[in-house]
Amino acid sequence: MKLIKKTIPLAIVFVFGILTLLTYYVPHKHSVDFLETMNKWENIVTAFAFFLGLISLFYAHSTKISRKADGWGYSLFVFVGFLAIIIPAYISKGKNMNGAELTWMGWAFQYIYNPLSATMFAVLAFYIVSTAYKSFRIKSLQAFVLFVAAMFLILGNVPLGQIIWDKMLGWTGYNISQVVDWIMHVPAVAGKRGIMIGISIGAVVTALKIIFGIERQYLGKD
Amino acid sequence: MLKDKLNAVLKIDRRWIFLALTVVLFGAIIHPLGLLSKNIARDTQNAYEFMDKIPAGSFILLDLDYDPSTAPELSPQAMAVARHAFRNNLRVGVVTYSAGATGLIEQLFAVVPGEFKKEYGKDYVILPYQPNAVAVMTQMASDLYGIYDKDKDGKDTRSMPVMKGIQNYKNISLVVCIAGTSITDIWVAYVGDKYNVPFIAGVTAISQPGYGPYLQKKQMRGLLGGMKGAAEYEHLIKTPGKGSSGIDALSLAHVMVAALIIVSNIAMVILKYL
Repeated sequence: MKLIKKTIPLAIVFVFGILTLLTYYVPHKHSVDFLETMNKWENIVTAFAFFLGLISLFYAHSTKISRKADGWGYSLFVFVGFLAIIIPAYISKGKNMNGAELTWMGWAFQYIYNPLSATMFAVLAFYIVSTAYKSFRIKSLQAFVLFVAAMFLILGNVPLGQIIWDKMLGWTGYNISQVVDWIMHVPAVAGKRGIMIGISIGAVVTALKIIFGIERQYLGKD
Repeated sequence: MLKDKLNAVLKIDRRWIFLALTVVLFGAIIHPLGLLSKNIARDTQNAYEFMDKIPAGSFILLDLDYDPSTAPELSPQAMAVARHAFRNNLRVGVVTYSAGATGLIEQLFAVVPGEFKKEYGKDYVILPYQPNAVAVMTQMASDLYGIYDKDKDGKDTRSMPVMKGIQNYKNISLVVCIAGTSITDIWVAYVGDKYNVPFIAGVTAISQPGYGPYLQKKQMRGLLGGMKGAAEYEHLIKTPGKGSSGIDALSLAHVMVAALIIVSNIAMVILKYL
């Protein structure tokens, strides 16, 4: 049992992990062919993962509905939403447009998915504005630095802000675009680069731990 | 008395702020102010200049990975870039790795190519959605048709005039990725750096500061940031679109946020010393 549940999966991960890693550095035909095959396999596995995700989603929400758990009514909309897109998609054979005309799927996309998705994001703007007013309090040096940087970026990112800057601080001789450019290309880049290097080192270490079988959580608990 | 008033100002019902923002946004949309950026951002200018120098007939890959939530910022960018490409007689291949983008791509390409009398299959092609971006990007390095042998409608791509002479990244003059996701980083790491393919991106304003390192090292030749980037690009190609018309609303909303933050902090400081 240990052979099937642990040894073989670990061996597969080790062999394919090392081979795929090598393809990055070996520009030989066999290496390219191997990578092409892996890419196709990866696409197929990803497609299966979609199905698995769908089954898991349906299972979780149908359980919630059958148990009448808190907010079970919202779970109904998972199925309503799914059917509202999948039925038109099936009728339209997956096409959004038929020539210049919208198909059923195109209609569902444009008049259901599109406005709902856009509304969700647009509502955020209102919460950001009210939260900025109610919560952005300068109570420390760090908050002050954040405030100054935010003001420069807010003003520098829109034409009206540029006009206000020119009227009020034009005498300094500095253009708001120059200030924003400096913020974006010096302190922001330094911070971002530090974060990126940290994340990348973490990713490399995790990948090596998985390839060499040190990290085994993906195998499950058995 | 003043203390009570200031406290009331700080504890104002958030619905008044929502109403004020609504009035500001609607006002700017109904009565545009015609504000235009006096200064074009360096990264937008670089993107425009790089694209403008590509010889006519070259093939560019346009990756559109945004869904309706980020479309107000990114769709004007995509339109402006597509218009620039068609105006310069470039061949365009469109790809996406975001399922929500497929409908938006079709809407965009139902309009823009017609403005320049461009034909599907001859001047541009829309390739089908693929779920696994890294696998596809790696595959395109050796043989693009290993993944994209059919277009979105299942037609053979090899026989299309637009794909003539296109086999892999060596034949692609530029990749432009307009995305509301982190796929931009994947293009840089797996394609731009490794195969030396010129790369330009269009991103939402909120994610724009994160791409500074790529721009500094020329891993990106240019960057369009949010609606401002779209408006600037529209200005450069001299074709005003939704970016230019949306920038007024954005301007007023930005200034309103700044004003609210300043007012609330002044009120807080006064309260502290009362």
